Amino acid sequence: MAVEEIPQISPIIRHRTSHLGRAVPRREDRSALLGQSQYVADIRLPGMVEVAFVRSGEPHALIRSIDTSPAEQIEGVVKVVTAHDLDGVEQFPHFIEYNQPVDQFPLARDRVRYVGSPYAAVVAMDRYVAEDAVNLVAAATDFEPLPTVTTIDQALAEDAPLLYEGWPDNRLTTALIENPAVDRAFEEADHTFSETYTSQRQTGLPIETRGVVAALREGQLTVWTSNQSPHIARTTIALVLGVPEPEVRVIAPAMGGGFGPKCHVYPEEIVVPWLAMTLNRPVRWVEDRAEHLVSSVHARDQRHDVEIAYDDDGTIRGIRVHSIGNVGSGEIFMPGTAPTFVTGGSISGAYELPNIEIQTTCVVTNKTPSGAYRGFGIPEAALVRERIIDRVALLTGVDRVELRRRLVLREDQLPFRMPAGGIVDSGSHARSFERGLEMAEPLLTDARERYADDPDVRVGIGYANYVEPTAPTYHLTTGFWAGYDSATLRVDGDGKARVSLGLAAIGQGAETTAASVVAEALSLQPSDVTVVMGDTERSPYGLGAWGSRGAIVMSGSILMAADRLLEKARRIAAHMLEAGDEDIVQDVVLRDGFFFVEEDPDQRVGWPEVATAAWARTVDLPEGMEPGLESSGYYDPSDLEHTADEAGRLNAAATWANGTHIAIVSVRLSTGEIKIEDYVVVHDCGRMLHPGLVEGQVHGGVAQGIAGSLYEHLQYDSDTARPQFASFLEYLVPTCAEIPKLTLDHFESYAPHMPLGVKGAGEGGTIGGPAAITGAVSDALAEFGVFVTATPITPVTIRAALRPTGSGEAS
Amino acid sequence: MKPASFDYYRPSSVSGAVQALADSPFAKVLAGGQSLIPAMNFRLATPPMLVDIARLEDLHGVEVDEHEVTIGAGVTQRHVEMSTRVAEVMPALAEALRWVGHIQTRNRGTVCGSLAHADPSGELPALAINTDADLTVEGPNGIREVPAPDFIRGPFWTDLRPGELITSIRFPVAPRGTTTRVAEIAHRSGDFATVGLVASLTRDGRTIRRARLCGFAVAGTPIRLRSVEGLLPGVEQLDETAGRTLADAAAADLEDPVGDIHATGQYRREALAALVVRTVRSMLEDPQREAS
Repeated sequence: MAVEEIPQISPIIRHRTSHLGRAVPRREDRSALLGQSQYVADIRLPGMVEVAFVRSGEPHALIRSIDTSPAEQIEGVVKVVTAHDLDGVEQFPHFIEYNQPVDQFPLARDRVRYVGSPYAAVVAMDRYVAEDAVNLVAAATDFEPLPTVTTIDQALAEDAPLLYEGWPDNRLTTALIENPAVDRAFEEADHTFSETYTSQRQTGLPIETRGVVAALREGQLTVWTSNQSPHIARTTIALVLGVPEPEVRVIAPAMGGGFGPKCHVYPEEIVVPWLAMTLNRPVRWVEDRAEHLVSSVHARDQRHDVEIAYDDDGTIRGIRVHSIGNVGSGEIFMPGTAPTFVTGGSISGAYELPNIEIQTTCVVTNKTPSGAYRGFGIPEAALVRERIIDRVALLTGVDRVELRRRLVLREDQLPFRMPAGGIVDSGSHARSFERGLEMAEPLLTDARERYADDPDVRVGIGYANYVEPTAPTYHLTTGFWAGYDSATLRVDGDGKARVSLGLAAIGQGAETTAASVVAEALSLQPSDVTVVMGDTERSPYGLGAWGSRGAIVMSGSILMAADRLLEKARRIAAHMLEAGDEDIVQDVVLRDGFFFVEEDPDQRVGWPEVATAAWARTVDLPEGMEPGLESSGYYDPSDLEHTADEAGRLNAAATWANGTHIAIVSVRLSTGEIKIEDYVVVHDCGRMLHPGLVEGQVHGGVAQGIAGSLYEHLQYDSDTARPQFASFLEYLVPTCAEIPKLTLDHFESYAPHMPLGVKGAGEGGTIGGPAAITGAVSDALAEFGVFVTATPITPVTIRAALRPTGSGEAS
Repeated sequence: MKPASFDYYRPSSVSGAVQALADSPFAKVLAGGQSLIPAMNFRLATPPMLVDIARLEDLHGVEVDEHEVTIGAGVTQRHVEMSTRVAEVMPALAEALRWVGHIQTRNRGTVCGSLAHADPSGELPALAINTDADLTVEGPNGIREVPAPDFIRGPFWTDLRPGELITSIRFPVAPRGTTTRVAEIAHRSGDFATVGLVASLTRDGRTIRRARLCGFAVAGTPIRLRSVEGLLPGVEQLDETAGRTLADAAAADLEDPVGDIHATGQYRREALAALVVRTVRSMLEDPQREAS
């Protein structure tokens, strides 16, 4: 798409005021706050029965036998099924060529590979009875335990037990982007240094757990599911069930957050519909939180073996990174390999670090499958990058800020091709960093003063500069879908608009912004716009809500549809204004919902007259014109690449947002307690459609970044691969008491090739946390030689780091 | 997360409750339910019957006199926390209760229930041990009194015998000049403590006359820090050397710290030592609290 073809607001619109860039109240809020939103768990259908899944308590075992008869005896149990009962059900498709094939059936067949793996399902009159039956099935399952693999080292060991027969080892995928310049850099540099950085296993944790309701209605299988991509869910459900896609309708009703885990299509989304078809009655499953923690995807379980080549003056000559993702059993659609690749692609971030060699490996282990979580590998990359810079600063004595100033991208370098192929089209990288430093300086002074009299406390500051790939390709992730999305726009006889989007509403406020964009595009008020999302029968095919893409693909598709619709509306208006000849059509403009010729503004027709002519009083249409006033737009970002070149590089995102995070922390030496004193964010997501939503995204994202830095950790026993978490007693989610008030500022570097100049804003907030906080804690404890290389940082890890070596016990 | 099926029985008298417990040996007493019900939802506890004592009038008393505070088994934590009478004679109770769970759980949870649950990270068992509280227990063989240190036997393990229930707990009022402080280290605000301390100092002017300290969440039961207590009488302020001596004593008092996914045993020992010094120092520096 050439620059002049970028969807924009039509030039015929003469706005007095714009609906964009204003923090209008979210239209989603009222029903949510009044408890009137309908979530999957609120759906009640006549005759509906409940499903509970029997999940493996064994991390790795063969299933010798399952005796379902004791469970079937319980009063109120309707049906018990195991993998072999699922007639006609296929395995999930293998779309990704570069991965080893994982044969995943919706219920584990003959072998389980993680605690939580569903291998049978019980249908009962209520969830209580269903859980009674689940316990009986579990007790009557004869497992033959197999040796387990928990850690990356265990997975890669020469004599490692293999999770999949027929694989040579436990590598699900491996790839290397070679770069001969890196070898030269290592030969020429003054010094080299090796270090390992690790990021712990976490999960996205939407407040609404997953849930599926399915029913046959007039021959059509209707599936309500809390899924970020209803159309992709529908395609996948149809494929796996072997049902023609038109016979499946997927509805994603009100959603209590997605955060990535709900991008995947899960076994329950197949089994529950299959049960509804088989039993010919409505069936419901709502995931409870204990299930959620072992059955919804995990993320961020990565290790990075890094070699740095650097000179005495702080010049970073070259970096070799081997990123290894521990993706759990790998039994998830779509596979969990993509985030580790994105980590590799994001290592250089907002810096000019050209000589990087990236090796990526994903290993399977007996943990819950990992997958998407807000940030999608980028926070891990930021951690690696900023630790490298701090390490080189420490090794050479060059100031950390000065080193970053040398490296951070300047506007005169843009567009900038990153070593992994990303083309940073625009941004305020250097400016954001300087602004962040300016904002942080008085805060740091204050923090130091607060603790000046306490010899037990140290204060430190840490920095992160990132780029956020937004509206990325889905082809790397899915091996199938790519990057577009869609809008169908209609103006009805009352002059009000209705837009149907392929996007899904997951709590991000897409309804509000879509209404504003439509209002802007058609010169209406947002209150004149109805927004439809999340129903495959009512909205056009689209890829859903993920990858910080909503603002971009929604705007693009709405504007394309609006352009087509306006073209027709203008001809109708011209005819009604008796200005029907072609020359005059070109003079018709639109302001405040009225069409007129600029020289004669008193003579005008509004949307209701135009639309009424299109739909009802068609006698008012120009002769020969097709009735109706509806159009569609399918926006496919033009610069987005879907496959890598021969060197493994690709521009995997439509445009690149950027930001700076600076954390100021205090650490208490005697107890290791950490407090985030201040957190500075400078955020640039291009043009802001709705500053309130952008700030909300930043606040929530930062909270999750802090969660990953200090609190949340899905721990497994490394000897047995058993999860050591069952609830929020073990998985520590921070509360508002742990999240500091942000000090926030924005820049708006319009995306040159995007509709309206927008970039995505969904994930930036999560990216900088681990990098900035590890930097700040390391700074606070620098005098003790502490350099943090792993998250989470806890009072326990702080104390261990402060102990003289040799005195510590194994943790 | 649904409980297994169970019978529910609401007796009309304490003796009725005792009878029901005697008849159904694996029955559980339900008072506030803030620990029991989650355990049942996880099916970690599957009692065949719950005996609900929450509405027994006889167990709703809070008696306060100059020597002791007696709290019935049906009294909620929040009720005691908000009681001005209790605050006057025993401010330590309100101080400790602020750390128990959250307001929402304290609205239902009972003081005696915390003792019966015997969670090693619980504040109330530690306070009970630190103050030599006595529990009154009623069972098939009658009524008996059990000193708190004997009542708490281990993690989630008490001296209660089959068929018995706690009917009340009696806290002796501390000597004049006593201040009590609860201090905790937790990963998150309001969380279960990773390391906890109840410290009571009785002072005469600025000088410590009597010290009672009890660490909790650091071992299977709350642990009285006897060496620390031995060092403190006569102390007016903690300089750096005295602080170190005190920390070493605290670390020595904690012979067998527990390690779990939240903290290693070694961390708990170090952090308890630091918490003891920090808390005592802060209490000595805080004249406002001397009066209470």
